[in-house]
Amino acid sequence: MIDAQLAAFLQEGVGIHIGTRDEARRPNGARAIAVQVLDGGAHLVVYVSAVAAARLMADLESNGQAAVSFGRPTDDRACQVKGIFVDARPAAEGERSLVAAQWDGFLGRLEQIGIPRVATRAWVTWPAVAIRLRATAVFNQTPGPDAGAPFTGAGPEPGRGAPA
Amino acid sequence: MTPTLESLATCFQGILPAQFFTCSRDGIPNAAYVSHVEYVDPSHVALSFQFFNKSRRNIAENPNALVMVPDPDTGQGWLLRLQFVRSETEGPLFDRMALRIEAIASYCGLKGIFKLRASDVYEVVSIDAAPEEVSAVPVRGGVDQDAAALLGAVFTTKALQDLARQINTADTLETLVDAILRGLDESLGFRHSAILVPSEEGVLVTIATRGYAESGTGAEVRFGEGIGGLVAEARKPIRISGLMRGMLYALAMHKQAQIPDPAARLRRRGIPMPGLANPESQLGVPLLVRGELVGVLCLESEVPYRFHEEDKASIELLGSYLAIAVQNMQLQERSGEAPADAVTPAPTRRPGQSPPPNGRPRRDVVYYAADECILLDGEYLIRSLPAKILWRLLNTRESTGRQEFTNRELRLDKSLNLPEWKDNLESRLLLLRRRLEEKVPDIRLVPRARGRFALEMACDVTLSVRP
Repeated sequence: MIDAQLAAFLQEGVGIHIGTRDEARRPNGARAIAVQVLDGGAHLVVYVSAVAAARLMADLESNGQAAVSFGRPTDDRACQVKGIFVDARPAAEGERSLVAAQWDGFLGRLEQIGIPRVATRAWVTWPAVAIRLRATAVFNQTPGPDAGAPFTGAGPEPGRGAPA
Repeated sequence: MTPTLESLATCFQGILPAQFFTCSRDGIPNAAYVSHVEYVDPSHVALSFQFFNKSRRNIAENPNALVMVPDPDTGQGWLLRLQFVRSETEGPLFDRMALRIEAIASYCGLKGIFKLRASDVYEVVSIDAAPEEVSAVPVRGGVDQDAAALLGAVFTTKALQDLARQINTADTLETLVDAILRGLDESLGFRHSAILVPSEEGVLVTIATRGYAESGTGAEVRFGEGIGGLVAEARKPIRISGLMRGMLYALAMHKQAQIPDPAARLRRRGIPMPGLANPESQLGVPLLVRGELVGVLCLESEVPYRFHEEDKASIELLGSYLAIAVQNMQLQERSGEAPADAVTPAPTRRPGQSPPPNGRPRRDVVYYAADECILLDGEYLIRSLPAKILWRLLNTRESTGRQEFTNRELRLDKSLNLPEWKDNLESRLLLLRRRLEEKVPDIRLVPRARGRFALEMACDVTLSVRP
């Protein structure tokens, strides 16, 4: 479902959000900190800070539907992975460096577009919950008329100031 | 404590992208970025609808939505639970949102391509703080210097008083426009600015700038083009924060649409408009006196989110004040003008007599009649009315030897075809003087008295006309 090229994009340190919905089909959502692509792209572990995961767990456990969006701040390249909830557990201390590295990459990209780290330094990233999803579909979400079409893999990141 | 929607105005600037969550009729959630969340009233927001996508389809099936917006000043994230109410395709809300999108698109050369289809209005059902996106600014207690700097107030009474003091020392249009830009820099910290005035040719001409490597005096923009042109067209202030974000969004969209090089389609101009390579925020203020557009003030900054919502009223007030100051100065310069014949006698040299050889440089001045444009030594100098004025001055000087001129005689000269009412002559002369200073320092327009000036030349010229 998720090829190596796409996996590299998802794990490079981009903006991540996870969406769920309740029984009345009211959407819920939270910021995620990092992801890990597993089992050759069949599964995705989404790391969400425990304070945020609390409002998603009831949805995930009742209907299992999830959508995870990925957006690179520097060029708005974006995609969405749909998934079905498999399980959740507290993130292990051994996973902390992986999570921190992706988060740092994201904050670095925000800095490139002028968002100083001071603005985001109080955001809560740990302790985290590792939410495992089975990936069911991937869609392109880069702004434009092709948003919503099946995703074709990650491209190069253009430098700052690229607009002509 | 639950905040009011008004108090979240700073979140609706598009600095940090907002995240929009929806759900289809068959229960599949969707998470997508939105470029623009607009405050509508104390219980409604609007989202821009530019493309038919999954979020839009979901909303048609299920009106429940959630948007997550971080406050760019504090970092606090807010969860707004929404209920779709209606789509607007005209009216003030649509116009406001479309104008902002157009300003960004125009900046990228994508005007007309990057278009708002509708403003989707949602009722805000609830507002909750996102516990994972906590404010970096302590609610109470110790002072956080870094955070305080992010929140720095700009339009303080003291700063405005300082600015007014600077402006009041000006006694000519030239010193006035310079004092305005210097004052905005020194008192308010706006380092990069420009004043444009409308011209007879239906374009805006830059008459003064500050904070740029190239002064750009004489640079023109059409109405509706760039932030200055859009402000002139709309006669409303336009504030763009997170400009870089908007531009990147436009670029990403543009790449997707695979339209050939947009920059190539931008009309090339004689003088490039000065500007920052990567502006993060821009503000355009119309200078209006009783509905008449006297000019446009453009400010830009490399700091994201430099122009705050609460600055808007001060900015509008400042715009009227500056407009009145500029118009008063124009009227004052006109009313105090010397009579048309109040010039110093011509030197003894007879008309048509060649000046003595003196080793001075000789410059080649060519007037292109069809384009009303002057090229000096093969390089573009100026066009339109300032070009016609310079051409007349140079010819009069060559044929009669006369060096002093009055504004009034230019006004009376039918060949210049100045409108009888509100001719903007002063700003044209100011523009011409500045272009000469930059490009040909050996040809100068030197003010002698109110409404009178000299054409001083440290070079000889060869004048020729081409069709």
